[in-house]
Amino acid sequence: MEDLLVKLLEAVEFGKVDKKSPYPPQLRDMDGAHELTISAIEAGIKPQIILEEALIPAMSKVGKKFAECKIFVPQMLMSARAMGASMFQLKPFFASGAIKTKGTFIIGTVKGDLHDIGKNLVSMMVEGGGWSIVDLGVDVGSDKFVEALKNNPGAVIGLSALLTTTMVNMGEIVSTIREHAPETKILIGGAPVTAEFCQHIGADFYAPDPQKAVEYMNKLAS
Amino acid sequence: MKKHIISLHPLGKELKVNDQTPLIDVLHEFGVEFPCGGKGTCGKCRVRLLNGELNVTKDQQKKLDQLGLDSDWRLACYSKCTSDITLEIEQFKHLILADETEFFFVPGKGFAIAVDLGTTTIVAQLIDLSTAQVMAVETMVNPQVRFGADLISRIQACLEGSASEMTRIIRAAIGMMITLMLKKHDVELEEVILVGNTVMQLIFSNCDVSPLAAYPFHSTNLGMKILTTTELNWKFKVNKRIKFYPSIGSFVGSDILAGIVATGLHLKEEYTALIDLGTNGEIVIGNKQRIVCASTAAGPAFEGANISMGMRAVTGAISSLKQADGQLKANVIGNTIAKGICGSALIDAVAILRKLDQLGMFGEINSGEPDILLSGKVRLTQQDINEFQLAKAAIAAGLFILAKDLEIELSHISELYIAGGFGNYINIDHVVETGMIELSPKKIHKMGNTALIGAKMFLFSDLSTIDEILKKATLVNLEADRSFQDIYVDKMLFL
Repeated sequence: MEDLLVKLLEAVEFGKVDKKSPYPPQLRDMDGAHELTISAIEAGIKPQIILEEALIPAMSKVGKKFAECKIFVPQMLMSARAMGASMFQLKPFFASGAIKTKGTFIIGTVKGDLHDIGKNLVSMMVEGGGWSIVDLGVDVGSDKFVEALKNNPGAVIGLSALLTTTMVNMGEIVSTIREHAPETKILIGGAPVTAEFCQHIGADFYAPDPQKAVEYMNKLAS
Repeated sequence: MKKHIISLHPLGKELKVNDQTPLIDVLHEFGVEFPCGGKGTCGKCRVRLLNGELNVTKDQQKKLDQLGLDSDWRLACYSKCTSDITLEIEQFKHLILADETEFFFVPGKGFAIAVDLGTTTIVAQLIDLSTAQVMAVETMVNPQVRFGADLISRIQACLEGSASEMTRIIRAAIGMMITLMLKKHDVELEEVILVGNTVMQLIFSNCDVSPLAAYPFHSTNLGMKILTTTELNWKFKVNKRIKFYPSIGSFVGSDILAGIVATGLHLKEEYTALIDLGTNGEIVIGNKQRIVCASTAAGPAFEGANISMGMRAVTGAISSLKQADGQLKANVIGNTIAKGICGSALIDAVAILRKLDQLGMFGEINSGEPDILLSGKVRLTQQDINEFQLAKAAIAAGLFILAKDLEIELSHISELYIAGGFGNYINIDHVVETGMIELSPKKIHKMGNTALIGAKMFLFSDLSTIDEILKKATLVNLEADRSFQDIYVDKMLFL
């Protein structure tokens, strides 16, 4: 039984989506996250345990390796896909309440900016950290964040931007959110963003990489 | 101790030095030569001060006067750094690509000027309209570099209140370049034609750049701009017109319009592609029916920016790498000890290291070490390789999405032209091996400064050609394609 969790952890860490996926070469023809999750559920392992003892530690390893430049975007995305395949099997248990998440994370790339890869990586890592995700997509204005927050009270908000010229829109979004829900925790990130800028616009946390975002949110949840 | 930042152009390098550091020490490191040994007699080490303060001693002033250099020039061998400065290094001017390509033309009368106004560099040529001969050339670093290296930082500077200053200095710089050419050849000008990317066009024409700051990046002000010497504050006479040619849209400007004319892709039955590997990387695919184009942010890595030991193609740079008996063999400019690596060799390095199985399919260094030794003390780090992957994937994904938009396979492209200064030094086989351009090497050609070639061709043609191209050309926003992320990430791999 534990062997299944070890294998699932490995499949997600190295991005093995299912048996037929060719990546990574060292796991060729072996079961992937898809098959292993089904087997684990069939073996009677509690879904919460699957999440906490396979998926979360796998994504945490991935996040750390990315932060240390040991892996790059393609591997991280491959792991995220493997995690997605596993999550898909766990979906009914999230819906029924058999799995409890740490909270909800609302994320979007700010108004005027269409870049979504960085935002997607953060979103996947936070999901892999045990949170529910509301992804508002790209070119998102303050009104959409406020509306999403109304539907998900107490959610943490993440803002992403890749351009110096669109980063400035974060300021307006932060202050509008504060008007509606002053207690909301807001974290920001993206290539031009800095800790000084974060302080300047009154956001709560600047995440230099996806793993730092997860670590910050886990502190909030604990 | 007080520190200052020196920014060197067209190298695109920034460095921090102590107060009172002699410039000779700093520039020597970057391969600048001091033929007279720092006596101030040859003037070869002269630098143009684009920003900041650099005091002139009486001695230096005497030398500058003797050499006939005006107030923005300094002799590096006489100068010490006392503030943050931006310098244009005269010895590195050869990095700016002019052009001597011949083209078909109908002889006209008189003389005219063609200008390629680039984000980093400016080239202006004086043309004899009866022979299409280049009579004089002036090249210069774009003085706007002190407001930032890339287009987004220039836009940001405009939004923060520097727009009119940027307009003023670019007009003055080009006016001075033309004046210098007219000093050599006392002729009357019929026409001045300028091409450049959208941001350059808007700033030169004193128009608002703010629509280009954010999505949908749509300016309604990109048509042909007709200007007068009076409003430009130019002191020479132009008989007919001064024209800044129209942009195609978004970040794709008249430099690419000129590139299309230079390659003749709008006249061909077969699909032809053009990639401009400048600071802002643009891609075009088209034929006589349809033309699609896009801009990517691929350029900076090839210019050495964000590469830990990246530099331009000057003395001490590894310009190319070869493989011999499973070992890397570096060709270093000036046959000296390697100090850094330029864009062309970066491509070589990645292609060869992948072939030697030192890099994996994800770009990972297989040994698990943080870097790989290339030559001398020059190393390529894991981050450098990742930067390269982002750049090559931007080009590869751009080509892929444009082909998809035309509903053709990449293999249907019959010829692909690479433009831009850096493009001239690359090894095409290696480009293909990295997966940056997924075409047979036989179809890929280097074409030099296509913007300048096209601008010169504009001097000999009427406007119907460009009207027709503008009608056919569609702009594609790569990021807006739903499958962009998957394609982009896929193209980062080395398969």
